Amino acid sequence: MKTNLLAAASIAALVAMTGAASAVDIAPGKAMDMVLLPKFLGILPFDQAHQGAEEAAKELQNSKPLQFLGPTPENSVAGQIEITTNATTQGVAAIMISNNSGDQIVPSAKAAQAKGIKVVTWDSPIPSAEGEDVFVAQVDFTETGKVMADMAMGILGADGGKFAILSASPDAANQNAWIAAMKDALKDPKYAKLQLIDTVYGNDQSEASYNQANALVDKHPDMKLIMAPTSVGIVAAAKALQDGKLCDKIKVSGLGVPKEMVAYTMNGCAPQFALWSFVDLGYLSYYTAYGLASGAIKAEEGATFKAGRMGEYKITKDPTRAKGLRVLMGPFSIYDKKNVEAAAK
Amino acid sequence: MTILGRLKSWEGLLLGLLAVIVVMNILRSPYFLGAGNIANLFQLSIEKIIVALIMTLIIINGEIDLSVASIMGLAACVLAWLFQMGASLPIAIVGGLLAGLAAGLFNGFWVAYVGLPSLAVTLAGLIGFRGIARILVEDRAIGGFPVWFNTLGQQGILGPITASILIFAVLFAIVAIVLHGSALGRLVYVIGNNLQAARYSGVRVQSVKMTLFAASGLIAALAGILYAARLGSVRGDMATGFELDIITIVLLGGVSIFGGSGNLAGVGLSILVILNLRNGMGLANITGNTQTSVIGALLIFSVLAPNLAQNLQRRWIGRKT
Amino acid sequence: MKWLQRHVRPEQVRELSLLLLIIVAVVFFGSMIDGYYTSRTFNRIVSSVAIITIVAVGQTLVVLTRNIDLSVGSVVGCTAYFVGTLLGRYHDLNPLLAVLTAVALGAALGAINGLLVAWGRIPSIIVTLGTLAIYRGILVDLSGARTVTTDSLPGWLVGLPRLNLMSIGGLDLPALFMLAVAIVLIFHLGTGYLAVGRRFYAIGSNPDAAALIGLPIRRLVFLAFVLSGALAGLAGFVTLARYGNITVESGRGLELAAVAAVVVGGVNIFGGSGTVLGAMLGAIMIGTLEQSLYRLQISEFWRDAILGLLILLAVASDAVILQRLRALWGRADLKIVTEPPAEATVAAGARSP
Repeated sequence: MKTNLLAAASIAALVAMTGAASAVDIAPGKAMDMVLLPKFLGILPFDQAHQGAEEAAKELQNSKPLQFLGPTPENSVAGQIEITTNATTQGVAAIMISNNSGDQIVPSAKAAQAKGIKVVTWDSPIPSAEGEDVFVAQVDFTETGKVMADMAMGILGADGGKFAILSASPDAANQNAWIAAMKDALKDPKYAKLQLIDTVYGNDQSEASYNQANALVDKHPDMKLIMAPTSVGIVAAAKALQDGKLCDKIKVSGLGVPKEMVAYTMNGCAPQFALWSFVDLGYLSYYTAYGLASGAIKAEEGATFKAGRMGEYKITKDPTRAKGLRVLMGPFSIYDKKNVEAAAK
Repeated sequence: MTILGRLKSWEGLLLGLLAVIVVMNILRSPYFLGAGNIANLFQLSIEKIIVALIMTLIIINGEIDLSVASIMGLAACVLAWLFQMGASLPIAIVGGLLAGLAAGLFNGFWVAYVGLPSLAVTLAGLIGFRGIARILVEDRAIGGFPVWFNTLGQQGILGPITASILIFAVLFAIVAIVLHGSALGRLVYVIGNNLQAARYSGVRVQSVKMTLFAASGLIAALAGILYAARLGSVRGDMATGFELDIITIVLLGGVSIFGGSGNLAGVGLSILVILNLRNGMGLANITGNTQTSVIGALLIFSVLAPNLAQNLQRRWIGRKT
Repeated sequence: MKWLQRHVRPEQVRELSLLLLIIVAVVFFGSMIDGYYTSRTFNRIVSSVAIITIVAVGQTLVVLTRNIDLSVGSVVGCTAYFVGTLLGRYHDLNPLLAVLTAVALGAALGAINGLLVAWGRIPSIIVTLGTLAIYRGILVDLSGARTVTTDSLPGWLVGLPRLNLMSIGGLDLPALFMLAVAIVLIFHLGTGYLAVGRRFYAIGSNPDAAALIGLPIRRLVFLAFVLSGALAGLAGFVTLARYGNITVESGRGLELAAVAAVVVGGVNIFGGSGTVLGAMLGAIMIGTLEQSLYRLQISEFWRDAILGLLILLAVASDAVILQRLRALWGRADLKIVTEPPAEATVAAGARSP
């Protein structure tokens, strides 16, 4: 309320100047074409993000329908570039990208910016931050590394032990960033007993992830934990261990959707895992993109805005990428036996 | 119907299809006719259509090369790896091209001289060449190439026309001349039509096949490097799965999968049909899955329709078969 | 030698040579990997090849008739997803009915392929390249981005992969693998001894002659595709049981694995020769390579390069062994394997019989 009063007392120019200190109310009612571009279609997290973005679109009374466009999984990189380029041709107001193409999307994202389109990334950023106005980060990527290390310690206990990572594809920028952050976190003496012995990739395919989990078990007889920072990989790994009757010896942890994980958490295969709300992520991304495209906020450090039901957010430097800006959503929800059933509903 | 008549009607069909699609695109999207969009239409798939040209020769020859997309990835990764090791970019580019040529020669050796089925050899290549690319770049994304390289891939040199589009045009002309106006081109058809007859009449089947696979590797490598220039950075998964699109273009162009028939005009039309269709659907905000489904349906329909028409015609005249 | 020539068919020699290669591979990996000769290695390989084997059997039937079915991966995905959703909703659905639904759905999708190939006179590679995209596209559109999860499935299904028919000294023979073996036996004998089975070979090795003697080519090709679809449907059910979590991605790329198994198994890609048993050995060969490569203490990134090389070597050494045998037997039908396009050119006739 205080910030509101402050804003009300200032004239328009002052609002812009003091924008850093006071949260901007994003004015609803502008009709703008906006595109929400997931990595690919057909998996739950992106659908939830779509749901959240639609909710925000309704609140902001954007009369133009939100375009939820995605490529096919096998054509993700080329498809994302194609959709971005076509959206540029159409002259939309903003594109929200969950980037699966690493820096390969940069040329097309820059071309979009050159036409005055706001490019907001969410879920997975553009690593070099070129061609991107701001990244809506679900959680702090450095924090992700620590959270994963903490979960590993929590599950393995003070004695620690050997563990392996089961990731998505070797090219997934966010997964790679989390793995790097975790390796960094492991340098901390308090995790000295944790030993990362292998990293394998299941390419976000159930079958490949399942086979990779089994292979890890065979390859490393003394492995005690599989850490899977991917919602597809974590369930597949849990299923593989359960089928191998190995859940009392080897545990699974990582990032997963409660609805898909509840059974494995209750039976002890995956005692603890983490995630954030993809609905909220979609909602916040939409507010950010809408604010930028309507001119209510600028993509610069310190800009603060109100994102409907989620409250105030601030654009800051992204500590994990030299040139990037980000809006940090957070926090993590850590799920275990106590809360997973409620979250799964 | 004579073969000539059938081919003519095939191209006629593609031309009609193209006209319908273009008209629909113009009516449905105000952006379609912009010069930028027309250039984009080619630019977004330019690497695939470059490889489709050489794939046309391979399939007419009665073989198939499933490894092209992996060779594209391999060439780009060799380039990036050499560049990261400190080589200058021109040398890295030559390295990438040589890697592609080597991969093509490797395929050609097993097919032409050992006599293994190309489907099996290039299926192994599809897995193996991608594997080598992976070994070179692992989970890294390699970028930071000199500005001229990225400009080459991304900016027009004649208005909106990029270097890749020019290369495609030149290659199209070369392939047209080779296929339809040279001795080699005739041999490609002869071998594709009847391998045994070609052998008995003293055609050097082995060297023709070897040449084609080597050319396929080299051109795929070129396409892979152009793709790297367009995207400005290289990853291990570059061009994964492109082989299906490339083969689809060639088959839709009226080239028989069993070899011996088809021509470049058909493939040229098929390229235009698919690019315009994709672009139109993209501008109409149709998602990737629906796009692939529609192209799949088109692929089937484009062969089914003339067959049905022929059937009806035959019924009309009275059954001959 | 004479005795051998008289009593062993060349195709059987072909399979024996592949068996030999598998043994060589196992010995090789055994020397590279500590604790390789354990029941676990065996169990892993056995349980991993069930799905690919079932799909490869169907693929063999289609390939025998000088066609190819590239849509099997999408069919597996569709049936696994659809039956999974069905079982998630109706927990007490009769297990047999669930299997039959999977098979029927697969058969229906296969029938669409068959119809277009046999009566639409469209080359099978075009039809199935198209339906590969269409079936997957439909699945993604209809699924509404939901994933079938293990806990939504009834207990009998989730327990199925752990069900062993018998166990010999720690070597498990899981029910799902035995199902695949049963399928292989049925179809091996069926193609070898039943009239309809022999006809698949006939139309594949010489469609013109087959037409001349009045074989119902179209119906046979149609049947091959329906069976391929039905088996892919069954494989979809096994996929559901084994992996439990089914996304819209399920089964993607399986078509290439199945074609690889068939080719490595010595089925001539231009039709007319090869056996179902050979395809199974091909699947086992590839399964052994894959599972063993997982175990090798090498970087994750080396696996594909080595796998590609090994597949090539398997095909090549097999062909070389065969060339020798061909000289010994002096039989023409062995020649086809190494010089495929000999009759491929007649295939233009196969398109408009």
